[in-house]
Amino acid sequence: MTTPIRIGLLRLVDSAPVMVAEQRGLFSELGLDVTLSVEPSWSNTADKLAYGLLDAAVMLPPLALAAAMGLRGPPAPIIVPMGLSQGGNTIVLGNLAAPAANQSSGAGLLAWLREQRDPPRFAVVHAYSTHNLLLRYWLALAGADPERDIDTVVVPPEQVVEALAGGRIAGFCAGAPWGEVAQACGAGRIALGTSSIWPFHPEKCLAVHAPWAEAHPHALRKLLRVLLRAQILCDLPAEAPQIAALLAHPEGLNLPEAAVLAALPGGGGTERIHFHTGGAWFPARAHAVWFLEQMRRWGWLPPGADLEKVATSVYRPDLLAAAAIEEESLFFAAPGRVRPLALPEGMTGFGTVNF
Amino acid sequence: MKVLLADDNPERAGAVARVLAADPGITVLRLQPGAFLADAVAACFPDIVLVDMARPDRDALDGIRQVAARNPSPIVLFVDQDDPAFMEEAITAGVSSYNVLGLPPPDVKPILRAATALFRHHHATREDLRQAETKLEERGAIDRAKAILIKQHRFDEPEAYRWLRRKAMASGRRIADIAREVVRKKEGDAG
Repeated sequence: MTTPIRIGLLRLVDSAPVMVAEQRGLFSELGLDVTLSVEPSWSNTADKLAYGLLDAAVMLPPLALAAAMGLRGPPAPIIVPMGLSQGGNTIVLGNLAAPAANQSSGAGLLAWLREQRDPPRFAVVHAYSTHNLLLRYWLALAGADPERDIDTVVVPPEQVVEALAGGRIAGFCAGAPWGEVAQACGAGRIALGTSSIWPFHPEKCLAVHAPWAEAHPHALRKLLRVLLRAQILCDLPAEAPQIAALLAHPEGLNLPEAAVLAALPGGGGTERIHFHTGGAWFPARAHAVWFLEQMRRWGWLPPGADLEKVATSVYRPDLLAAAAIEEESLFFAAPGRVRPLALPEGMTGFGTVNF
Repeated sequence: MKVLLADDNPERAGAVARVLAADPGITVLRLQPGAFLADAVAACFPDIVLVDMARPDRDALDGIRQVAARNPSPIVLFVDQDDPAFMEEAITAGVSSYNVLGLPPPDVKPILRAATALFRHHHATREDLRQAETKLEERGAIDRAKAILIKQHRFDEPEAYRWLRRKAMASGRRIADIAREVVRKKEGDAG
């Protein structure tokens, strides 16, 4: 008897690769016994990963980095051996702010923000989230000061639509399906998808409890192989209806089906998720450095933090490479799937994939 | 010392509040349902926040120093670095504790220990109930599957049970799972 691998995830569309792998029996195909745990919050996921109550989890890259650096407790033994998805978040404005922002540059919104008596409240899903960093990046690009021009609050993704409809927040940046849901029910309008801020931006990653990875190198390699296979499935538009049905099932993630379908590859939403194309699977250290640089920009990192060193110890493309080599047929079968890393507007210094 | 308790389970929150209130030095404040957790922290300025880990809004306290720029009191997760087993126990029980910095450090551990014990007790009760419900549901599924098999194959009852058991053993699965499958298939044919 082996102990099952415990994998944590949240009720979001980008948990699809793990859900699909479980449903299609991809874990058992490689002899892995896996237990999925749907967590109520990112903090729970991070705490359980830190103390080994989860072996692996679908994670926000900035939170994985923050936990590993000790920004939310003692440094947590967490590594990131794999990317799971790219894109998929939307910046949604409530009906008061939406008319002001008819351009994706954010300039119109800035004028509106500064007309308000108090800085309007914007919700993100976690302080250390891709959502928070990309929202701030976009606002700053338009000349706004995210510390002064908005008041950032954290609202769980599944409560963000209600908060917007009830006027408790002026807008939000959250993952799929919540932007489409907000727009469909008239609570607000999608101003832009985060892929128009940074095309093919890394979104969720697989974070692993480092002592587990060290003790179970073979299981880890198999886990990464299974998720590579699942990501390829999730990227096929033909699979989208079935995947949407799985995520919408009450015993799945109980998400609204139409909005899930809109965010999957081939869907009709403003913003769609990539699970494999564009190198979504690759845990590029350059990406980790970008997240860390943004965190430093907003004054969240201790002075003198060595970003390259953090990126190198947390992001482990070497572990993925070993798994990918065993799955080489996937890559030979799909030439052109690997593209150079795309950069956010105005950022330089990336562009090479560094193993 | 002020303790803000964020737990929507009235019974459990009542139990935690009663235990803590036995210490005359502690004032327990309860979070109103629907309130932003971070707002409540800013408004009532507690020394300690005890949070039900099942709350999705727990994320509002994580990294609040960065998020609530206007909030003068950073708040941090209480972690006993010297006692990882205790931290594991608290997480398993489903309760976490935060300290509000900028105040004299209070003695948190006894409080978190009491809350952990009460959370664990409630968790155990709920788990017992869930197991009892599952057992009942499984027995119902096996009975329905047996009835279907008796009708389809003209089995008697022991034969129907043996059929289910053989299938379960051959596929390495549980009898209840096979029974559910038989019922689902029958319902699928009918519908």
